[in-house]
Amino acid sequence: MSGKRISGTTRRAFMRNAGLVSLAAATGGLSARFARAATPISLVGWTFRPDMVQAYIDFFNEKYGEAVDYSTLPWPTFHPTLEQRAFAGDIVDVMYCTHNNRQRWFERGMIRSLEDLPGFDEIKSAMLPASLSSLTSKDGAHVIALPYYSAYYIMMYNDPMLKKAGFDKPGAGWDEIIEQCVKLKTDGISEYPMLPNWNPTQTGTNPQFLSDCFAEGAALFDDANKLQADQDAVAHVMERWQKMYELGLVTPEIFTQASSTDTHRMMFTGKYAFHSNHCNYLQDTATDAAQSQLAGKKARITPYPGKTGDTYAWTDSYVMNAKTAALESAWKLLQFLGANLNGDWYVQKEWAISSGVQNPYPAFYEDPAVIASTEEWVDPAILKEQAGKGKVINAFKETWYPEYDTKVVPIMHDMIRKKSSVPEAIKAMTDLYQSLA
Amino acid sequence: MADLLEPMKRDVRAQPGTGRNGGLIRRFSLYANTQAGFATLLILPALTVIFAVVFFPLVYSIWLSLAEVDLLDTSGPTLNLFGFNLPLYKFIGFGNYRDIVGDPLYWGALGRTVFFVAAFVVEATVIGLAMALILNSEFFGRPILRAALLIPWSMSRVVVGLLWLGMLSADFGALNAILSRLGLIDHYISFFQNGFSALNVLVLVYVWNQAPFATVLFLAGLQSIPKDLYAAAEVDGAGFWRKLWHVTLPSLRPMMFLVLVLSTVNGFLMLDLIFVMTFGGPGNDTTTVSWLGYVTAFNFFQFGPGTAILFTLTLICVVLTVVYQRLILAKFQAE
Repeated sequence: MSGKRISGTTRRAFMRNAGLVSLAAATGGLSARFARAATPISLVGWTFRPDMVQAYIDFFNEKYGEAVDYSTLPWPTFHPTLEQRAFAGDIVDVMYCTHNNRQRWFERGMIRSLEDLPGFDEIKSAMLPASLSSLTSKDGAHVIALPYYSAYYIMMYNDPMLKKAGFDKPGAGWDEIIEQCVKLKTDGISEYPMLPNWNPTQTGTNPQFLSDCFAEGAALFDDANKLQADQDAVAHVMERWQKMYELGLVTPEIFTQASSTDTHRMMFTGKYAFHSNHCNYLQDTATDAAQSQLAGKKARITPYPGKTGDTYAWTDSYVMNAKTAALESAWKLLQFLGANLNGDWYVQKEWAISSGVQNPYPAFYEDPAVIASTEEWVDPAILKEQAGKGKVINAFKETWYPEYDTKVVPIMHDMIRKKSSVPEAIKAMTDLYQSLA
Repeated sequence: MADLLEPMKRDVRAQPGTGRNGGLIRRFSLYANTQAGFATLLILPALTVIFAVVFFPLVYSIWLSLAEVDLLDTSGPTLNLFGFNLPLYKFIGFGNYRDIVGDPLYWGALGRTVFFVAAFVVEATVIGLAMALILNSEFFGRPILRAALLIPWSMSRVVVGLLWLGMLSADFGALNAILSRLGLIDHYISFFQNGFSALNVLVLVYVWNQAPFATVLFLAGLQSIPKDLYAAAEVDGAGFWRKLWHVTLPSLRPMMFLVLVLSTVNGFLMLDLIFVMTFGGPGNDTTTVSWLGYVTAFNFFQFGPGTAILFTLTLICVVLTVVYQRLILAKFQAE
């Protein structure tokens, strides 16, 4: 055995190399990465582009001498699994968290406030006020997360289709848009010219309804998070939805789409004239000719129609475990992911360029690489303007909201399909709210 | 067996326990030395695994259905298992069951579930049997067809859902394209435009996915029927239908029982196709009990009521299994 080579080396060579390594370590000759004993911290996210996330976590570990262990959980059971793990005593230092779970996690002591952490005031001042409000606890006293992405509703249109029908630009308001849609249908250019995001998911029907209400100047929830469904503007939005469906302007397929990305993809088949949806994940869908009939900027963005043109916005996030034992490292990671630790919007840029994901830092939109990337599919100026018109609600911070958010969808769908009238739908919404709140 | 065990028994006798634990070890050794004790020792690993992965989760989930579950409430009693805290939550008796029984949404979902299961079980059984009869006869290419038959069943249901969504799409679906080119439709059909249509699409897709499994089971049953029975029936002048009715179907009763039980249970628990294809919509039109249980638990974070909703399905499945057993198997066993 003594004379045999083991894995391409000899015992003598091994001893020599070990001696050299020991000497190098003793004299500080090894790289800082090995010399520094970083406290391992964990990051858990839902499974979305894990390859890309792992790549920038590797970058972070390398550059900042940290040891972040990144893992994922499937989306459908993401939050309950993390809650069970927390209960069992497992401490995940940094986690993804959707907007409607943050408050619950904070109230129960699972995540911590970020207010007392160094440099936080600077991060706050760089953020859009609406998003900052979204990331704040229900009592308004603590910011409890940093943004993973922000989303807001936008209106897109199929430029070649409108031109084919003789329209130079989209209608200025809803009435004109509906008139254009009727003509497109009558002329046989599009069977279903309008594509509102009436899918049943959390980013579908209800956010679309909140957007259309905001665009008419109506807030569906007041400052005390009470439902205010009995408003003329709310009824007006419902009547318009019924009218669009009754005129055959909207495909029935929309009611069963399993995600807002699926709805995006429908638009980019080129068969629809107008589409309202949230603004994220459009980069690859919109620009890739293999996926899109409207690649090459044939789909354009227009300011959201309505009295104010405001739309619903929300911000999903990264949060920090209240029991983390590595506060400094976790805070550094949180800033790298959700702010601008690296000074070049490293993570946000990755998301924006690869997928068109937005974030609530206006300064980010000045970055030349981001502008160039965004220009491939949309007018950056209108996108930025719409971002500034994002309106948030605080009702999602209430424990009853997830159930309301799901159960209101069938009420809306039945109203659209005229299985119930507008007053009945408003009453059903109000009853639902009262039964939960 | 006794001879083979003898050396081991002698070893056990040769090592008497000592000290405080000595009596316990000695008693254990003596018990292990008996035939029943040794048999218990042999099955103990398997029993431990069954307890850990079947019995314990079952009991715990029944407990959850009787409790007020809040995943983040750490104040209640816990069970410490190997260093991990398992929450027990607050026991509320049948409160969750009372709540769901009083919820009209549950009864609507139950009605749709019953429709779905009835349509699925009938279609999967009839189509499965028909395919088995065809594949049991001699014809060219039968081995290839038998192998190909298993492809739908072996596919992940998420993939099955996506595949059929693509085929049925009102924008670019192959089915609409074919119907249009054949001149049968003048504009593309939305198969999910109303609840009845959407629910039936779910049934058909699930039958496409599951009927091959019924076929495999029926095929196994058909191959175990003695040829003499058919020969005797032919001597008596029986044709295809009379042989089917008087020979094949009675002989297939045990397999029929298995197919009915499995397809009923699968039908009641089907969730993934809804998740991929309809999300319970339009409106609540494809919301079944399993989907309602899922959203109650994972969207509303109400794990107590969610578990209770799903346990009502378990109860229905058990009752239906007993009914099938009485209707199909008991008669066969009596004969």
